[in-house]
Amino acid sequence: MLLEIEDIHVHYGKIEALKGVSLQVDEGEIVTLIGANGAGKSTTLKTISGLRPLTSGRITFDGKDISKVPGHKRVLLGIGQSPEGRGIFPGMTVEENLHMGAYARKGDLTKDMAEVYDLFPRLGERKKQAGGTMSGGEQQMLAIGRALMTKPKVLLLDEPSMGLAPMLIQQIFKIIEEINRRGTTVLVVEQNAQQALSLAHRAYVIETGKVVKSAPAAELLTDPEVRAAYLGGDLAVDEAANDTAVDTTPRNGQD
Amino acid sequence: MNLKQTLSARSGVSDRIRDWWAGAPMWTRWLVYLLLLLFVVFVLPTEGVASIMSPQTDWITTLWDPIGIYILLALGLNIVVGQAGLLDLGFVAFFAIGAYSVGVLGREGWPFWGTVVAALAIAAISGIVLGAPTLRLRGDYLAIVTLGFGEIIRIVARNTTYIGDSRGISDLPRPPSMFGLDFNDVLDASAFYYLIVAMIVLVIVISVRLNKSRVGRAWAAIREDEDAAELMGVPTFKFKLLAFFVGAMVGGLAGTGQMGGVQGYIQPENFPFILSATILVCVVFGGSGNIPGVILGAFIIAWLPERFRFLDDYRYMLFGAVLVIMMIVRPEGLLPSRQRKAEMQEGTGGMGSMGAEVATPTTAAPEVGGK
Ligand SMILES: Nc1ncnc2c1ncn2[C@@H]1O[C@H](COP(=O)(O)OP(=O)(O)OP(=O)(O)O)[C@@H](O)[C@H]1O
Ligand SMILES: [Mg+2]
Repeated sequence: MLLEIEDIHVHYGKIEALKGVSLQVDEGEIVTLIGANGAGKSTTLKTISGLRPLTSGRITFDGKDISKVPGHKRVLLGIGQSPEGRGIFPGMTVEENLHMGAYARKGDLTKDMAEVYDLFPRLGERKKQAGGTMSGGEQQMLAIGRALMTKPKVLLLDEPSMGLAPMLIQQIFKIIEEINRRGTTVLVVEQNAQQALSLAHRAYVIETGKVVKSAPAAELLTDPEVRAAYLGGDLAVDEAANDTAVDTTPRNGQD
Repeated sequence: MNLKQTLSARSGVSDRIRDWWAGAPMWTRWLVYLLLLLFVVFVLPTEGVASIMSPQTDWITTLWDPIGIYILLALGLNIVVGQAGLLDLGFVAFFAIGAYSVGVLGREGWPFWGTVVAALAIAAISGIVLGAPTLRLRGDYLAIVTLGFGEIIRIVARNTTYIGDSRGISDLPRPPSMFGLDFNDVLDASAFYYLIVAMIVLVIVISVRLNKSRVGRAWAAIREDEDAAELMGVPTFKFKLLAFFVGAMVGGLAGTGQMGGVQGYIQPENFPFILSATILVCVVFGGSGNIPGVILGAFIIAWLPERFRFLDDYRYMLFGAVLVIMMIVRPEGLLPSRQRKAEMQEGTGGMGSMGAEVATPTTAAPEVGGK
């Protein structure tokens, strides 16, 4: 196992956001974690990348217990994350943002930069534009590109489809597939369950801080409970959505 | 409206100047630096300039204190607020620590330069002492804690007999004469003026070098998005502490350059909260994060009330009005950096997000409530 999370509990003050989450990601896989708003998806990723401390439980990466390793050192071990929403540096140009991705390592970056521009030609056209003035979709690409610049063994993506038009969602998911094909393991958090389940090899479903299901992704696509809750069934799972207004619409008919 | 248009037209000019500067060759830059320095040394402190800038007070004294002192303080606070994006409302504490270190050690018989070295060390250590426990807080929480620190230092000074309680310390040590400058002449402040200019140049050089280094990039990343910075492998806590350390040292340096004014004594009431606020105004008004902007801001903020002394207390009303108008028409400051402008447009303003705690895997999450 490349990444192994065992029974982690995470708190925000007195609120317990994760109540014993366990999951595994094997080398070369695409794994997805789906769930409603506030289920604890982002918290899980932040805990893996070291932005949130563990109350209890254990995270193992590449055979090492990293539960107590600070976030900035986990990057060097090979954990790269694209944060939720606009996690880019707004005042830095596209190029400077990508360079920040390589902050912790030395050496020539031209090849890595070229690779990112190859995956996201749009970024290549806008090297000198300030990150904050890019469109939502472009910022999402920039965040993913910047995470790739850390040369991760595992890439953690927090809702890459958030706020994107249906066309662009498909494009982003194709790119994620391509990134995986080129050898990077991917753990992707999504509310867009349809797309995520079609993309991933395996999937976990998280509800109020607990993993309630785990199975091959294709199986969950046909699972009646999952269909009802996350694939446009009758359960109003996203009524609380505030920042995800755009991606709630394409969920029903998309594929 | 009109005013707004004129000012944005002017901002087009400052953009062009900045672009020209960015593309200017090395020798042009050095030439500009040299001309500026010659101007500051030979033109600024002369009678002709004085009659326009300061008909009522001694111009050279004004250039030293408050103008020079404000510029030093603003450059120091700019490292903390403008570069690292940490809102510090108690910066006056380090100014006080610098001044008191000189006063107390001088009384113990230390030579002036010895007290300066010690003062810098003591101020820098205080920066660490304040930062280590509090830099896990963010935004407004950090602001409140630093504000408290500033007040604590002043109140402790007022109640400690050893450092003169509310009477303060008199007869601060003076630098020995050097380069023909006499620091004991109460009627001529030019020696102090040149000393403060030297200190300012030193701090500018250090700031610019830091800004261009990996440290500067790390600070910019922290300012713009702290979590993202950590995800890029930036040890955010260490770099925030470093900003406090360097900022505190510059604040302490300003304290040593202050030397109790012409009279040579300091009192706790020389270090009120309002001074922290005023220095923050200098930074924001001038163009947070941009060194020329910060210097210009500090110059104007220190100079205006002196220039309009004849208006008595009405000058503060005028002063306030000028600030309010400026912040409405040019919220990014007089001379913002390009990066800063982009940040402002994005809406964060780069002064730290308003979330509560910064937790890392090695720290238990402090119980400060949620977002
Ligand atoms: N900074 C915080 N302070 C307090 N509570 C928080 C904080 N961040 C998240 N929470 C709480 O933790 C729980 C899990 O939040 P999390 O952000 O992980 O949800 P999520 O699954 O990513 O949701 P979404 O799909 O809306 O992004 C929620 O109940 C949320 O209110
Ligand atoms: Mg989330």
